[in-house]
Amino acid sequence: MKKLIYKFALLAALLVLMNWIYGKFFFKDDLLKHSDEVELAWQVTNDSCVVVYTGESSNHTFSWKDKDQRKISDFIFDHFPGLRCGDMTKDASHAEVYYYLLENIPEDSPVKTVIVTMNLRSFGYGWIESDLETAVQKQLVLLKDYPPFFNRFMLAFKAYDIKSIDERGDAREWHRKHDKITFPYPFKYDNVDDWDYANAHQGVILDGKWNQPLTELACHYIKTYGFQIHENNPRIKDFDNIVKLAKERGWHLIFNLLAENVDRANELVGSDILYIIRQNRDYLLNRYGNIENVTVVDNIGDVRNGLFIDKNWTTEHYSEMGRRTIANHVAQAVSNYYPDIYVENIAYDIPKNHYRKDLGFDSLTVCSAMPYGLTIKGRPADIDSNCEKVYISSRIWKEENSAASAIVMELYKNGAKTHFSNLPLNDMTDATGMWDFTTSVLPIDSTFFDANEFRIFLYNPTDSPIHIKSLDVSFEYDDYARAK
Amino acid sequence: MLFNSIEYVIFLPIVVMLFYLLPHRFRWMMLLVASCTFYMWFVPKYILILLITIIVDYSAGILMEKYADNHKLKKRFLVISIVSTCLVLFIFKYLGFVNDNLVALCQSLNINLNTTVDLILPIGLSFHTFQSMSYVIEVYRGNQKAERNFGIYSLYVMFFPQLVTGPIERPGNLLRQLREEKKYEYDNISKGFRLIIFGLFIKMVVADNVGAYVDMIYADPNKYNSWDIILGMFFYSFQIYGDFFGYSTIALGSAKLMGFEITDNFNTPYLTKSIAEFWHRWHISLSTWFRDYVYFPLGGSRVKFGRWAFNIMVVFVLSGIWHGAAWNFLIWGAAHGLLHIIEKAILNHLPEKDNRGKLEKIVVDAFKIAKTFILVTLFWSLFRATSFANISDLFTSLVNNFNTGEHLNVANNIWVYLGLFILIDVLLYNSRFDRWCDNRPAVVRWAIYFVLVFMIIACSSVNNFPFIYFQF
Repeated sequence: MKKLIYKFALLAALLVLMNWIYGKFFFKDDLLKHSDEVELAWQVTNDSCVVVYTGESSNHTFSWKDKDQRKISDFIFDHFPGLRCGDMTKDASHAEVYYYLLENIPEDSPVKTVIVTMNLRSFGYGWIESDLETAVQKQLVLLKDYPPFFNRFMLAFKAYDIKSIDERGDAREWHRKHDKITFPYPFKYDNVDDWDYANAHQGVILDGKWNQPLTELACHYIKTYGFQIHENNPRIKDFDNIVKLAKERGWHLIFNLLAENVDRANELVGSDILYIIRQNRDYLLNRYGNIENVTVVDNIGDVRNGLFIDKNWTTEHYSEMGRRTIANHVAQAVSNYYPDIYVENIAYDIPKNHYRKDLGFDSLTVCSAMPYGLTIKGRPADIDSNCEKVYISSRIWKEENSAASAIVMELYKNGAKTHFSNLPLNDMTDATGMWDFTTSVLPIDSTFFDANEFRIFLYNPTDSPIHIKSLDVSFEYDDYARAK
Repeated sequence: MLFNSIEYVIFLPIVVMLFYLLPHRFRWMMLLVASCTFYMWFVPKYILILLITIIVDYSAGILMEKYADNHKLKKRFLVISIVSTCLVLFIFKYLGFVNDNLVALCQSLNINLNTTVDLILPIGLSFHTFQSMSYVIEVYRGNQKAERNFGIYSLYVMFFPQLVTGPIERPGNLLRQLREEKKYEYDNISKGFRLIIFGLFIKMVVADNVGAYVDMIYADPNKYNSWDIILGMFFYSFQIYGDFFGYSTIALGSAKLMGFEITDNFNTPYLTKSIAEFWHRWHISLSTWFRDYVYFPLGGSRVKFGRWAFNIMVVFVLSGIWHGAAWNFLIWGAAHGLLHIIEKAILNHLPEKDNRGKLEKIVVDAFKIAKTFILVTLFWSLFRATSFANISDLFTSLVNNFNTGEHLNVANNIWVYLGLFILIDVLLYNSRFDRWCDNRPAVVRWAIYFVLVFMIIACSSVNNFPFIYFQF
């Protein structure tokens, strides 16, 4: 036995030597081969960046129709001319990847502000157990904070979350069946699987007929957003780690909570899915929004359906205006740390059929003293005649709920009001004392196109003020649903 | 649990330590629990199938011994046991294949049959059913006493080092050892580690690294140049060898750590001068199983040439089908059988030439080795191909793409790994890595360990290649 102990001691010494040899001669090549995202961390270090943006495909995906096809991060950095900024963008990545990338930025680097993409979908098991996750996990092994040879050993012996595509599928199904979803009001289904099943059978009706693409899309929305974030969600652990790391490094941390297609979610599934989205957003805002040096930029409801590139799936891929909207909001948060060099207004083209008013840092108060506010006016003649609906959204702050306050659309012909639609705010959000988004969709028909003018605005005849920051109107045609 | 997984890296030392810490009378229990854990790590419910085979063959063994004097009854128990074991194998491995072919046949005859069989093959089923069958046959033949302890018999079938891809053990070797009291010996630990390290090296560094190129070639043969098709075939020969030899060597090493000596499954099979010799050196435990339980009962070689050829074809076709329920395996087996017969026929008509000079002998032997390797490599393509269309694409590209197609960009380190493996394989001719190391000075031994361990960790493929023989 003594002999064996000596031999093990010799082996241990050799392992130390191996670690040195590996670290000195092999590790860098292996990193570039198996964890190439580390180059991103090296790049921002080499570029002496002060502001760093981490993101996934949402950052760089663009529409071919975009006049400016640059990234969200580039649009953010446009607001800070002269500041050294860089991004670390890797498709399919999430908070765990961001953590290891950020950890690989040397402690003595000049980085001061870190913007981390917070993708709501990444908290769901649809993403946590995504088919791409095994590859993502494999790429992280070498980035971990252990001796290089140990990390390579873990990689060689597949000591990471390695699952086949079938196993991932089974895991997703398990969560859909077993994760309870709860609402503060009676809800017919206990879990996402039941909800999805019922929705698939009920279907989505378009032009008076069952529409398969929209039904499938509605089911995607249920499966994608039908989860409730809890303390033990793996992504929460990752974001907690990022907060801890930022604190250790003395970074300003900005979480960029990306926009989801709440228009479509609301239109296809209804208010229940919006309730869950809001609940999860609130969880994140409450958990991270009150920490010193941490800001959560809530973009959840700020991009309209027409600006989402992928029509048949739930992604955060936006066309230029969507990326710019998010960039503007993030830039506002970053400006707190660099107020002197911040450039507030950067002009960009707004697509046809789309109208937006955004007051930036400001807001408008609407109450009985001034019951109409932030009005968007336009000419129906300027709208494509095949448009069949209008998504109207706003970002508002209510002190209390009132049945009288609403978003209103009026149509005028030759100066006379010919039509009036009223969208009560209470139906869209019951949040008080906080900024929240509203979304609604209205059909438009010949009455609309016969008019000379449309006006859309917030109406609040009560004494309780409502603050409005933005109003967004998008006229659209459901070409995706009809194309198939 | 895979041998090249972190789970096994943790599991094995725990089992070995418990083995030596426990008194002899408790060891089989611990090994049985460990073996069940090992097997259930894959898909727990499959153990029930294994249990059925164990119960049937255990009972058959006892009944055959009990009615040893009643030959008719004894034979009946043997038949029941073999039929039921084969039935399990048939249902899980061959029913889908038979059904698919039946459906295709009926469709060609315009008969409406549209049944589907979608059963997943339990891991290692072909291996442990054959091991189980060898027990009942040996008991029937009177070469083996029936095992009374159900636990020990279960352990014989389920012994974790060789449970999922062999070597296929015989009761005369393993069952006996399971009862023996194993004492801690430094030599066993040392040799066990040597074998494990070497097995991991050839699996993780050689087989898995070349496997990535093989996958590329076989995924789309039309894309590649003829030389790269040849390279892909050559690489596959070393992938399958490294993969299976690696697994068997780790199995040997794992058992050796606890003092168990299990059957060598390989002996430099690519340094053989004929197909017959190849099968004496490749998957030895399966070859000898077929020899003892199929070939000899059919009459072996002590029959006329025609009958012998028939016996050979039966053995090789069965061996092909044993590997997989698909026509390509059957054809692969038949091709080997046919070649074996042709070789023998030619040899029978060629005069023995003993007066060759040394150089001439070397040249002739080298030619024979090259010929055998090329033929075996060609046949492996039948084994590897995913379909007949794939085989057709492969050979069409092989013939037509000499001046067209993409070139495979093989990294230089692959040639180093392969060269090192071939060198070691040549050095191990008629030897085994642990024994070969015995004759080297300690410094050389430790230098070899250093290089192998370093390469296992630093140079292994990061892609997930399951052991090829797992599918059987």
